[in-house]
Amino acid sequence: MNKFLNLLFKEVKELITLQLLISLLFTIFLFYFIGQMAKTEMKKAMRTQKIAVLNLDDSPFSEQLIGNLKTANFQAEMVKGLDKQKAIDDTKATDTNLLLVIPQGFGQSLETQEVKEIETYSYLRTFSLVGSRSSIIINAVIRALNEYLSNDFIKKKIPDFSPEKVKNPIKSRDFIIVKDRMAEGKPEAVAGFVSSQSLFVPVILAMIIIYASQMVISAIAMEKQNKTLETLLTVPISRTSIVTAKMFASGLVGLVSAVIYMFGFRYYMAGFMGDISQAAAASGVSGVMQKLGLTMDTRGFLILGVSLFIAILVALALATILGVLAEDYRSAQSLLMPLLFLVMIPYFISIFSDPKTLSLPAKILLYAIPFSHPFLITQNLYLENYSAVLYGILYMLAVFVILILVAARIFSTDKVLTMKLKFRKKKVML
Amino acid sequence: MFCWELRSLPDSFRILTYYLKEVRMENVLKVAGLRKFYGGLEALKGIDFEVGRGEIFALIGPNGAGKTTALRIVATLLSPSDGKVTFLGFDLKKQPEKFREKISYLPEEAGAYKNLKGTDYLKFMAKFYARSEKELGEFIERAKDIADLGTRLNEKAGTYSKGMTRKLLLARALMTKPDLAILDEPTSGLDVINALEVREIVKRFAREGISVLLSSHNMLEIEFLSDRVALIDKGLILDTGTSEGLKEKYKARNLEEVFRSAL
Repeated sequence: MNKFLNLLFKEVKELITLQLLISLLFTIFLFYFIGQMAKTEMKKAMRTQKIAVLNLDDSPFSEQLIGNLKTANFQAEMVKGLDKQKAIDDTKATDTNLLLVIPQGFGQSLETQEVKEIETYSYLRTFSLVGSRSSIIINAVIRALNEYLSNDFIKKKIPDFSPEKVKNPIKSRDFIIVKDRMAEGKPEAVAGFVSSQSLFVPVILAMIIIYASQMVISAIAMEKQNKTLETLLTVPISRTSIVTAKMFASGLVGLVSAVIYMFGFRYYMAGFMGDISQAAAASGVSGVMQKLGLTMDTRGFLILGVSLFIAILVALALATILGVLAEDYRSAQSLLMPLLFLVMIPYFISIFSDPKTLSLPAKILLYAIPFSHPFLITQNLYLENYSAVLYGILYMLAVFVILILVAARIFSTDKVLTMKLKFRKKKVML
Repeated sequence: MFCWELRSLPDSFRILTYYLKEVRMENVLKVAGLRKFYGGLEALKGIDFEVGRGEIFALIGPNGAGKTTALRIVATLLSPSDGKVTFLGFDLKKQPEKFREKISYLPEEAGAYKNLKGTDYLKFMAKFYARSEKELGEFIERAKDIADLGTRLNEKAGTYSKGMTRKLLLARALMTKPDLAILDEPTSGLDVINALEVREIVKRFAREGISVLLSSHNMLEIEFLSDRVALIDKGLILDTGTSEGLKEKYKARNLEEVFRSAL
């Protein structure tokens, strides 16, 4: 009989409860639902938008403007009459979100090079993405029209010069240098793509660590709460096996939960961002990335996997110690808080800041937190900072060994029963 | 020199040697000068007692006397601060794992895994002791017989009443026929009928050679069950003897009066 496997199966069975399955299914459903909704709303926003147009000018220029709107995917519905206030009120009663008023003398003012304002009235009936979409596009149309009119004017006045050259006498060619590689491209596009790709790693890591830690803390706290721990500690199996089985089972269930969670998260993100790799290919960023060596190969993914795995082990060992301190399931949830902080600090720093720009004490604090290293690993791998990656992995391994020794020590002494973190005075059964 | 030789012998041979030298004197568990500190609090102040094969030995005393601490030490849950505990020749401090192979502990406040069915719980616990599938089957059959919960064993332990859980746990403690059963308040939470059944079961297993170390607040239970009794108070054993012997010594009608006189 394999005692360890027996214990491991029991732990897994205990962890996979109906509540867990329901909450996971609910999470997937929720993410899928939000993702689909976002996708639908995005499609709606991209669809032909209805706008109301009150044309108080009767010139070829205003007709041209309206024509341009049609080509920009707008369905212009002309408002009859010449009363602006009536047009505003009438449009309010419809489902149209934008009213465009072309003032009288618009065409003439363009001919005389006077600045003339066209007025837009946006009806904010919702604060969703769709609500602001129409005014963004109308601004783009006006910009395009300005471009067309100014080019036309330059052509007429200085026929021998290209309007483009007149307006933009200086141009730039952008190059990006990463380590010893160089490629032509826009740095903001590359940085944006790398950060959008690395965004997923911290999210996955944070999810797995939180799920697995919660599992192991709860598993130990539940043993205490259900008064099963004392019996378990008297059966002929080593205390190290008890600790390891709990960690393995929690890690396994935590990992599966996180994968399922991420599956749902993918739907959610896809709804907002679409397919990142397709977008990159379309914008030509992927070619620049390859030239700069900013792609992760199999070895990179393997190192990333190892780093994530060790981070999970560290979290599980720490959660095991915290679980011993818990008196029951409820106190276990409170004890999860310090671990959450340890995960959230590097999580936010990796997303919003550059560790190199931090002050020395903040830097020391960041690197002392073992979970910081996998959060920073993607960028380090892209930039080929292998020594930072290696030190990070070795540091996490050292922390894990220390924590597992502490956890095993606690389980092999009276402390597993007597150690409690509570606000009341410690009570021992005599 | 002899000690070194004894340590180097295989376990089975050591047990055999022990039986030849000690068991004929019937003392399988020996507790000598046992002390336990919880920080500055001395819960046990050097207690001595011995339990023979097939003997039911009871510790009785008020709350906080040190009964549970003594039982937990013998069950390998707590480590002694001082003193020596040996069982079948194995030293508790040096070989706690050998103790665990031969003992079974039923804590006063114990529970079963709520998500496991009764039979699954018994199977899970039996697998730590069984050396073959056949033995595993025997353990489970014996446990079913002791628990006497019928088809309820196919339901999750979370649905059991306190009494049913206690019977399941007693079945778990006795199914492997351990050399020493440590029972802390074995009938705690049971109604009169179930408590009677449990006492009969404990008595039956002791007759089959299982040594029992128990504690209880119920003096009637102690009188019915135990072969010998130790009166314990404030970490000290005040007296040890059979129920009848103690009653005679203190000229008392029952153990409650014995205890009052001994204090």
